Amino acid sequence: MIEFLTPLWLVAAAAAAIPLFIHLLRRRTGTRVEFPAVRYLARAEREHSRNLKLRNLLLMLLRVAAIVCIATAAARPLIRVAGSGHAPTAMAIVLDNSLSSAAIAAGRPVLEELRAVAGAVASRAAVTDRLWLITADGTVHGGTPAAVAQAISHTEPLAGAGDVEGAAVRAASLVGGSGLAEREVAIMTDGQATTWSAPITLGQARVQVYRSRQAAPRNAAVVEAEALPSRWTPRGAVRARVLTPDSAAFRITIDGRTLARGTAVKDQEVLVRASPAERGWSTGTVEVEPDELRGDDVRYFAAWIGPAPAIRVSAALGRFATIAIEALVQADRATLGADVTFSPADEATTLPALLVAPSDPVHIGAANRALARLDIPWRFGDLRRGESSVQSTSRDDSTFKDVNVVLRYRLAGSAPVATDTLAVTAGEPWIVGGPGYVLVASPLAPDATSLPIRAAFVPWLAEMFSQRLGREAGTIVNATPGAMLARPAGVDALELSEGQRQAITGDSVAAPDKPGVYSFLTGGVRAGALVVNPEPAESDLRRLSPQALASRIRATSVRSGEDSTAVRAHVFDSAPRRPLVLPLLLLAVVALVAESTLTGRSRGGT
Amino acid sequence: MDTARARRADLLDPATIAALGRIEIVARWIVDGFLSGLHRSPRKGFSVEFAEHRPYQSGDDLRYVDWKIAARADRWVVKQYEEETNLRATIVLDVSRSMAWRGDAARLTKLAYAERLVAAMALLLLRQRDAVGLVRFDDLVRTSLAPRVRSGQWQRIVAALDDPGAGHASHAAAALEQAWRLIPRRGLVVIVSDLLMDADEILSQVRALRHAGHQLVVLHVLDPAELDLPAAGDALFFDPESGAEVPAASADVRGAYRATVTAALQEWRQSLAAAGAAYETVVTDAPFGVPLRRVFATRQRMP
Repeated sequence: MIEFLTPLWLVAAAAAAIPLFIHLLRRRTGTRVEFPAVRYLARAEREHSRNLKLRNLLLMLLRVAAIVCIATAAARPLIRVAGSGHAPTAMAIVLDNSLSSAAIAAGRPVLEELRAVAGAVASRAAVTDRLWLITADGTVHGGTPAAVAQAISHTEPLAGAGDVEGAAVRAASLVGGSGLAEREVAIMTDGQATTWSAPITLGQARVQVYRSRQAAPRNAAVVEAEALPSRWTPRGAVRARVLTPDSAAFRITIDGRTLARGTAVKDQEVLVRASPAERGWSTGTVEVEPDELRGDDVRYFAAWIGPAPAIRVSAALGRFATIAIEALVQADRATLGADVTFSPADEATTLPALLVAPSDPVHIGAANRALARLDIPWRFGDLRRGESSVQSTSRDDSTFKDVNVVLRYRLAGSAPVATDTLAVTAGEPWIVGGPGYVLVASPLAPDATSLPIRAAFVPWLAEMFSQRLGREAGTIVNATPGAMLARPAGVDALELSEGQRQAITGDSVAAPDKPGVYSFLTGGVRAGALVVNPEPAESDLRRLSPQALASRIRATSVRSGEDSTAVRAHVFDSAPRRPLVLPLLLLAVVALVAESTLTGRSRGGT
Repeated sequence: MDTARARRADLLDPATIAALGRIEIVARWIVDGFLSGLHRSPRKGFSVEFAEHRPYQSGDDLRYVDWKIAARADRWVVKQYEEETNLRATIVLDVSRSMAWRGDAARLTKLAYAERLVAAMALLLLRQRDAVGLVRFDDLVRTSLAPRVRSGQWQRIVAALDDPGAGHASHAAAALEQAWRLIPRRGLVVIVSDLLMDADEILSQVRALRHAGHQLVVLHVLDPAELDLPAAGDALFFDPESGAEVPAASADVRGAYRATVTAALQEWRQSLAAAGAAYETVVTDAPFGVPLRRVFATRQRMP
């Protein structure tokens, strides 16, 4: 194969048409010369026509060859010379060590197979090559073939998906910036369909893809585990989903204690309610039986578990409120105490509190003064009468469906924040909330609003007391292994394990590589939880065919297969290139000398 | 000696000598120069009668020096003789259009060269008391002067050279037949032509003339450019007589052309020799003395 460094000069080869044109048109000349001995000339052409035609053809070919050789030499051709090793090559090996590569197929981990092929590729590298290893987590190892081979042998599977596509792009960037003309990227992957979901562009590199030849094993995995709500008082629920071809047995634990067992079927959401005895931050798991891919058999969740809120109920609220609190107490969702105040606003003296408008307009002034004392930025305004429906500001909240308002006070916020509004009616805030308070703009009486007589009233109260007005427990952040996270407000450290803390100084923090539940700390006090789990998509082990895999990659050339021998044979297949300028110029000189000799001979005599 | 040779008109460049005067003057210079260069008198072997003396010139045969006068007057004179002859010669000149061509403007056309050569030959023969006639031809017989030895014959020949010609063909057969009619007895026929004609046409007449006992000399007049194709590049060469055209690249075909011309001249030489005729090529850049000497030699071999 011939390549040209300055191919534009090949246009000059079109000049080769000149002698050809002259050769074809030479007998159509318009110059007439009087010559009486034409009969001798005609006889000469007749008797020597064969020699003359051959000579003219030879002359034309020599002239064409000379022009073509010179033009081609100007284009600076390079020819690949086979059989003498390979040209210096920049080779980047992408080793897909994502979680799915840890699956056992045909008795051994897929990664072991990929490592073997990658090692074979690295063994073909020469000292003149540049070699890198890029793993799915973006780690780059460069250096001698021996060093890269060692890095390959020490590569372990990740706990998550990593970014194989990003690693491939990084590999292309490395070989592209190597300064070498030959650039190759060898990708060793299990061909997981969820990994290679979108086309990637690898630019000016030849890409060789090895896809594991083993069939994808059956896999059961926990792909969802979540505490609902994240704050249990102490009742709560665990929502889980298991990826399984048919059904799988599962177990739910809290701090190592089994909370529930069961069998999940394909695509079924599992919801387990519980009221555990544990208190404080707890680590929960949802587990399935071990299978060919162990990394996704356990999924973690975190929950804050505390006692039921103690509520002080004002008698001025009326019988509907009293009955509702009694129902919560009977259901162990609340107790009677002094943690949270539930009263008309004019009686409020402490926070947290769920406050409602006083039933007598006379007490509005006292209510506003109480709000002022509690630093609540809302005030009761004009009395509004007229029926209007209520809408929740939360999209999926159906609590206020069919709830109407007949009497209310217009709420005026001194520094209102949009997110403080929990429900609106007639385009105005009706229920607002803030740190330690929830404020309702109507009395809880049927002649003011239908809320107290709706079935959703009691659960709404429970939600308000346990989640909204309960003691602040902190936040829960879900992440994948190794992912970069924004630092939660106020958090200054991450507790990796008992006694091992990692200070957080920047605006972001890297999630640990190992799945589990980790603690955010603020001033040494636990302020939240970081839950690390693999990507659910990583548990889907379905694979792309080598052809489909090749179609997802755009590069100079892409070869994809599952034959490790072929992969080894096709990498470093660029033969060394030699310049052809000098041989072409010599050839042109030879052609010109031959042409000159031939022309001179005909002019000199027979 | 070199100076003497340089002054001889028969050895000068034909174009140079032709530019010096009219044809009869030039012919006289040529003949005078030619005769002065002979070491032996042209009259040797003929029945002669003394006519006059003339001063001895270098090259004269010492046998004709009048020793009595040399002894008496101490000067060398040579005896000259009036001679009688039985030779009748006819010069057949080709005046076709192909003869009016030259490959170089510095040279004479073949016809101009041939006319001066014919005039010189006629004068030389007449001075030997040979009867000389002239036949000019192209596609027709343009001139036909019967051989005469009387005074004024040479002027008539020279005047006839101005007659029209330059026809579009060369019909030598008719001209030779006319020459045969002009010299019914055995004689000498000198053909001056570029021979750009069919060989069979002329050879049959040559054989007939030889059969009748005539001596034939064929002077093949050639321009040097006809021996070596002119450098015209890629051109369309055309024959002014026949109009035939041949496209050729002169540089490419020159070698083959030379070989062909050499072969053609060799064919003429062989076929004319087989027919009993003497054949000489005359190149128009050669001094007139060269062909003149060959014709003279042929004449000398005749009785």
